[in-house]
Amino acid sequence: MPLMTPPIGSQLVDLGSALLLLTCFGIVAQRRLSACVDLFALQSVFLALTATLVAFLTGIHHIYVAAALTILIKAIVIPRILKKVIERLNVSRELVMNINVPASLLICGVLVMVAFLITQPIIPFGHLLTRDSLAIALAIVLIGFFTMIARQKAVTQMIAFLVMENGLFLGATAATYGMPLIVELGVFFDVLVAALIAGIYTNRLQDAFDSVDTTHLSELKE
Amino acid sequence: MLDAFALIVMQTAVLLVVAPLIVGLIRKVKARLQCRRGASVFQPYADLVKLLRKQPVVSSTTSWIFTATPYILFASTLAAGLLVPVFISRTPLSLAGNIIALVYLLALGTFFLMLAGLDAGSSFGGMGSSREAIVASLTEPAMMLSIFAIALTAGSTNLSTIVHKTALLQGIVTDPSPHLMAFAALVIVAIAETGRVPVDNPATHLELTMIHEAMILEYSGRYLALVEWAAGLKLLVFLTLIVNVSAPWGIATSMEPAALGIGLAAYLVKVSGLAVFIGLLESMFAKLRLFRVTDLLGTAFILALLGLIFFYVLRG
Amino acid sequence: MLNLLWILLGGYAVGILLPFCLSRRSNAQSLPASTPAIVATSAGVVLGLLGLTSSEPVTGSLTSTLPLLTFAIRIDPLTAFFLLTISLAGLAASIYAIGYMRHFDGRASVSTLGALFNGFLCSMTLVVLADNGFFFLIAWELMSLLSYFLVVTEHEKAEVRYAGLFYLIMTHVGTAFIILTFFIFFQEGGSFAFEAFRYPEHPLPEGMKTIAFLMALIGFGTKAGIVPLHVWLPYAHPAAPSHISALMSGVMIKIAIYALIRVYFDFLGGQFPWWWGFVVLVIGAVSALLGVMYALMEHDLKSLLAYHSVENIGIILLGIGAGMIFQTYGLKEFATLGLLAGLYHTINHAMFKALLFLGAGSLLYATHTRNMEEYGGLLRRMPWTGACFLIGAVSIAALPPTNGFVSEWLVFQSLFLSFHIPDTFLKLILPLAAAMLALTGALALACFVKAFGISFLALPRSTHARQAEEVPIPMRIGMALLAAVCVGLGLGPMVVVPLLNRVVAPFTGVSIEGQVLALDGWALATVNVEFASLSPPILALLLGGLSVLGLGIVAACGGLVRKRYYKTWGCGINLTPRMEYTATGFVQPIKRVFSSIYQPTVKLETEFLQESQYFAKRRRFEFHVEPVFQRYLYDPVVAFVTALAGRLRVIQAGSLHLYLAYIFVTLIVLLLFAV
Repeated sequence: MPLMTPPIGSQLVDLGSALLLLTCFGIVAQRRLSACVDLFALQSVFLALTATLVAFLTGIHHIYVAAALTILIKAIVIPRILKKVIERLNVSRELVMNINVPASLLICGVLVMVAFLITQPIIPFGHLLTRDSLAIALAIVLIGFFTMIARQKAVTQMIAFLVMENGLFLGATAATYGMPLIVELGVFFDVLVAALIAGIYTNRLQDAFDSVDTTHLSELKE
Repeated sequence: MLDAFALIVMQTAVLLVVAPLIVGLIRKVKARLQCRRGASVFQPYADLVKLLRKQPVVSSTTSWIFTATPYILFASTLAAGLLVPVFISRTPLSLAGNIIALVYLLALGTFFLMLAGLDAGSSFGGMGSSREAIVASLTEPAMMLSIFAIALTAGSTNLSTIVHKTALLQGIVTDPSPHLMAFAALVIVAIAETGRVPVDNPATHLELTMIHEAMILEYSGRYLALVEWAAGLKLLVFLTLIVNVSAPWGIATSMEPAALGIGLAAYLVKVSGLAVFIGLLESMFAKLRLFRVTDLLGTAFILALLGLIFFYVLRG
Repeated sequence: MLNLLWILLGGYAVGILLPFCLSRRSNAQSLPASTPAIVATSAGVVLGLLGLTSSEPVTGSLTSTLPLLTFAIRIDPLTAFFLLTISLAGLAASIYAIGYMRHFDGRASVSTLGALFNGFLCSMTLVVLADNGFFFLIAWELMSLLSYFLVVTEHEKAEVRYAGLFYLIMTHVGTAFIILTFFIFFQEGGSFAFEAFRYPEHPLPEGMKTIAFLMALIGFGTKAGIVPLHVWLPYAHPAAPSHISALMSGVMIKIAIYALIRVYFDFLGGQFPWWWGFVVLVIGAVSALLGVMYALMEHDLKSLLAYHSVENIGIILLGIGAGMIFQTYGLKEFATLGLLAGLYHTINHAMFKALLFLGAGSLLYATHTRNMEEYGGLLRRMPWTGACFLIGAVSIAALPPTNGFVSEWLVFQSLFLSFHIPDTFLKLILPLAAAMLALTGALALACFVKAFGISFLALPRSTHARQAEEVPIPMRIGMALLAAVCVGLGLGPMVVVPLLNRVVAPFTGVSIEGQVLALDGWALATVNVEFASLSPPILALLLGGLSVLGLGIVAACGGLVRKRYYKTWGCGINLTPRMEYTATGFVQPIKRVFSSIYQPTVKLETEFLQESQYFAKRRRFEFHVEPVFQRYLYDPVVAFVTALAGRLRVIQAGSLHLYLAYIFVTLIVLLLFAV
């Protein structure tokens, strides 16, 4: 049962999505890895809140489950794993960047504009209260992708990957009020496994090259 | 006409009196957070009076720019303050210049202060001016974009109109996302423009870190008093801008004495609250290296841009 | 008005001839050239003002023996406005020249220089007066050639010759594009008269219009110095004598703006697709930003000012581009505002840039160097020049209450109005342009803190600066005149804007006369008072009043205790000029932050004492900014042309008979074609 009138509800959903996007920019601008992880956890909380809001406004119950899982896995478990990895590897900062922070921020700004311009023709046809979030979701996916390219440390790339996943989740919620529960469960499981594998892979990288800089991987071809 | 004049005098007096208080309040908050008792919040008044009475020492290498700058700085900052609605939403002088005029009036003061920094001929002053130049340059685009976003949501660039319209809405939030982003950007801009941590540290006298303090190193006596007062005023102008544009609660919308009284009280409460917040922020962060300031200001720029995009596209 | 026109043209004619007629012995050699120029430019000022206020355009013409060419002139408000701009700057430069020419005693022919000066002013005047394409081109070419001769005044220096050659080539490439533009109009209009360009027999096809737009942009843009066609400007403008630099940078590049407005809004009727305005806007934003960025890295005062011309042309184009975009979408009031903002900045830039170049000339006159690192402490030795230069610096940094501020404010306002445009993309681009303009403004401010602070403040950095003396009175009058105009244009926009509205309104079709004035004419409003208002006189009064208040507080609290003078604290040792911040040091943070644009190359060589690696005997520091455009855009073109010329050498055998054969064959072929 929708209690609030759609415009205000819609605005709040927009606000939640906007906060998600903001944390994305925080991750791009932040050099300290542990702060990046915190920002990712914060982003996941915002995502869960937005999803809860959508669930509340639409009365679709399985979104509550997805939101709870988001909190559990993305805001608690995965950040823990990542923190452990950071601690063990003793890397605290992204020192060398392929693209420096101000330039990255500007590029991400352009990506947001691109995302909005791409979705602009579709949005007016949507009738869901979450229709505006689609553009933001696309922007988050693009920024996540870009961060994977622009940063060198494996940990940052993992965070960026998870950010992309958050974007996809938001997109799914926005476009169709969430995927069927079984698909979502599968996705959560995948993400968890991916995070674990990536953690192990980072550790191996550290053992092999004494560094988690992925540029070293190019040495493998010889 | 007489009313307007009385309001102008009143606003000038409020700004002049509150500015040192805000500086004292922030210092107090920081001291308490560092587990010190700290000086009284009224200490800056005593400092000002003391400085005004002392004999100034002026460098013999300087020109008239050096002695004229404190007055120009004081006048331009105060003039900027008079363009902002403080306790009444329809401030009489706001027709003299809109929000862009405010930005450029503050820039006028900065221009002369930077010149004064170079005038004494010591390396410190030059260093301060040079650093101020880059910080001021990088702040400007973010400031202009956030102003643009705010002006859009209110449909005007005239400060009185913006505040008046928002005040009449009685705080009903419309479009939170663009507002939020624009204000986050504006807070960062205000911190950078007024030389607070993490961009500059007003309490430092170390050549590695100082910006504003380096520029005014050669000032003493009444000149220093005016420069310090102007610095406090500039901080107050930004705080006023932020609280009154984002939350003009309680501001007087008419000329009645009761409304004016409430407006004044509400203003003091809001500005003090924001000052405490600034004090908290300063205690939470370490000062950034000069060349990391670009990251912070880049973020402010992007925030403002996002605000703009949100406004256009989400409501499109 | 026709009488004034005769005085104007006659004055220049006398000014061209008189310097050669008088004997060369008198020590006031510059008077025969300057006096007629002063008379002519004064007439030009009056004529411009009359033209701005009169309702009907004045026309006149002389037919010539050549077909297609009539010496037709027409003074409409646009012409009158530019006539006023040229004449005002010209007047100041003529007065200034009386004193400044002493600088050239024994180094160049003062009479030739005087004649060229008059000719240059006359040619610029004729360009804006011309009402016939052919006549326009002749005047344009005269203007280019005469300015070339003026640039190479000091031709004994190799770099001056290089600058001249560079300028000559670039300006002719530009002229070629202008000729092509005019041919397009001629083809459809059937005549070179501007009237035929305006109302052609057959309307121009859309494709042709686009080509004309691009050709005009390249052709006139070369003269205006838009990025990336600006590369000649920082070489040529500083090489000329300073009062000529003032005219070239202040006025000549504005003639290109005149021509652009004439072509886009008059000939093409102000009907264009949105992307035209967009292109102009983007070029404006890029020119503004890159212009100021390169200016920051210059330590030759005149080159610095030349780069600022690129910047300001960018700001003008931002206004015009915004106007063009509004025009496309039928938002005619805003189109008027944008165009008006651009034109306001045009006259403002002409005034303060001329002022600054005259100031730079005074410094050159007094210290014999253009290198800022050798100035310092000049405000105490040259208080008049210093005060005038400061007014110019405050104006160009767009600070209230001077003229630069008012016009930048107007440009900002027109960019702010972009939310009325129905297109989302443009809605986002215009604010970004505003942000770039804000960055440009802040960097310009930094640049002029550097220019004024390093040159005029602190201790003298060289013996030249220590021995500098204030310049002669005519030079001071010239500068003071422009400084007064700058302040006047800043305080009185309420007078200027309605006049400019008369210039712009015919092109956009809507007058904003009724809505620009507020508060009984005390303030300026863009749409209405509720949206935006500005009152420079009130701001100026406020600044004055509050300064007095500051003084009053000081007097009341402590009394004005006598101040004590003491040397600057230098960490325990006596302060020397070598301890001061240099211009290079001042901009170092900016260079570092924007290193991706500058691509700097820094070379530091240190020679140590033999005894220890810790004590340096001497250090050599070299720093260059990569000339990106020259290296990646111009060098390939030059290489291509050189290679092509190498190929063509085959047909140049050097034999007279062969050349005759070429001519003969050409003649035969042409005759065959004619059949």
